[in-house]
Amino acid sequence: MAILECKGLSKRFGRIQALEDINLSIEPGRVVGLLGPNGSGKTTLIKLANGLLTPTAGEILIDGRAPGKESKALVSYLPDKEYLPDWMSARQLMDFFADFYADFDRERAGEMLTRLGIDESMRIKQMSKGTREKVQLILVMSRQAKLYLLDEPIGGVDPATRDYILDTIIRNYNPSAAVVISTHLIADVEQVLDDVIFIQNGHVALQSSVDEIREEKGKSVDAYFREVFKC
Amino acid sequence: MLSKLLKHEFRATGRTMLPVYAAVVVLAVLANFSIRVIDRSVHTLVTIFCGLIIAAFIIGIIAAGIMTLVMMIKRFYTNYLKDEGYLMHTLPVSVHELVWSKMIVSVVWFICTFLVIWLVIILTALFQTGTSLAQFFAGFPSWAEIKAALAEAGIRSGDLWVIGLETLLAVVVAGLYTCLHFYAAMSLGHMFSKDKILLSIVFFVGISFVLSLATTGYSTGRFVASGGADYILETAQEAIRLGKAILAEMLAIELVQSAVLYIATVLGLKRGLNLA
Repeated sequence: MAILECKGLSKRFGRIQALEDINLSIEPGRVVGLLGPNGSGKTTLIKLANGLLTPTAGEILIDGRAPGKESKALVSYLPDKEYLPDWMSARQLMDFFADFYADFDRERAGEMLTRLGIDESMRIKQMSKGTREKVQLILVMSRQAKLYLLDEPIGGVDPATRDYILDTIIRNYNPSAAVVISTHLIADVEQVLDDVIFIQNGHVALQSSVDEIREEKGKSVDAYFREVFKC
Repeated sequence: MLSKLLKHEFRATGRTMLPVYAAVVVLAVLANFSIRVIDRSVHTLVTIFCGLIIAAFIIGIIAAGIMTLVMMIKRFYTNYLKDEGYLMHTLPVSVHELVWSKMIVSVVWFICTFLVIWLVIILTALFQTGTSLAQFFAGFPSWAEIKAALAEAGIRSGDLWVIGLETLLAVVVAGLYTCLHFYAAMSLGHMFSKDKILLSIVFFVGISFVLSLATTGYSTGRFVASGGADYILETAQEAIRLGKAILAEMLAIELVQSAVLYIATVLGLKRGLNLA
């Protein structure tokens, strides 16, 4: 059964149609790139999957259920924002995640923080922007979730941090889970992807495996993306 | 999960409220000394300094009250409607649990602030011009004296317990209503993409207007239907009966209003959540 499924999914904000008639399904065990230019609807789709928005039409299902209390226990979500309370320390945040998520591996999170030399007693507001992003990622990837939804995890970070983030994702995700990485930085994530979904102006322009694109189009995903989204 | 939300909410709010209470208690002790110094002082400068401390104490009391209200509003706004909302609304908890956790913690702080303010006022009045703790409390009538006075007026102590309970319930419901009034306005205002704060204020004023109009209309109707000004209280029992009835009716009105605001808050967060 698909871990994430959209059936005729649409979302409208006033006069703006953010998503229109999206039909797609994501199977467990796949690393999927949700690719598209800025404003194409990637974040809206991820927010809908997290129950942060309500569809205007159609439905979105997580493991066969509409987003709600049960689906949220299965999804590990990294927003494209700094969303952690800045007065909390890394240790308090680990306690917080351990309290609410039965699948949170506190030991693993602690190890990752130690490896990066991040003091657990340090508050979020005392950390640099890069360290804050790493703490967010560590918390999200320390869950044994069924679906990881990572919204722009490598946007706005330096190349070394970018490598660390991708490495952390690949090393730590639950192999029976699906990982959805939303980004417009294709070249950086291409090597870790199994499948790609191209989103353009709120529509699915393509859903394919990376191997199919390489074999059928004879191009890398990045090159094909540039061709599809040529201005 | 509600207990976990409460635990974290108390931790988040306690780090502000407890130092505020501590500061007010320290100011109360200083004000107590200042009042005694002013009584004996002959130096203008010392008197002015002590006067300033007493003024700071009064400002501190007012600030503690305002702080409790601001904390209630700010926690809901920053934790649910700003960036922290990405964390809170993706927890495996229901919207009802999210709203109740904020309401319960806010009402507890309202009650604590009320108690702290009374405590510091007593603290300031204590030991003034040789008054001991025993002398201070000796000024209050004993429970036996109160019961005897009530029995003389023909009022049973059971009636007082009912009124006490109703009053306590009314205080709690008033606290919940205050929270929900702000929560509903903010939830509805934040359903829109732009001008969220302005729209929250508009909703707050609109809700106040509609609810006060409905309450006034209902109360006027009840007053006219019950015979209005012709109702004369002849005995203490009648006064108690009327008091209980009015309290029960006020409680019922506040409960209905709170239920309406609760539904608006939950629907706003469930159906209209639109985090920037």
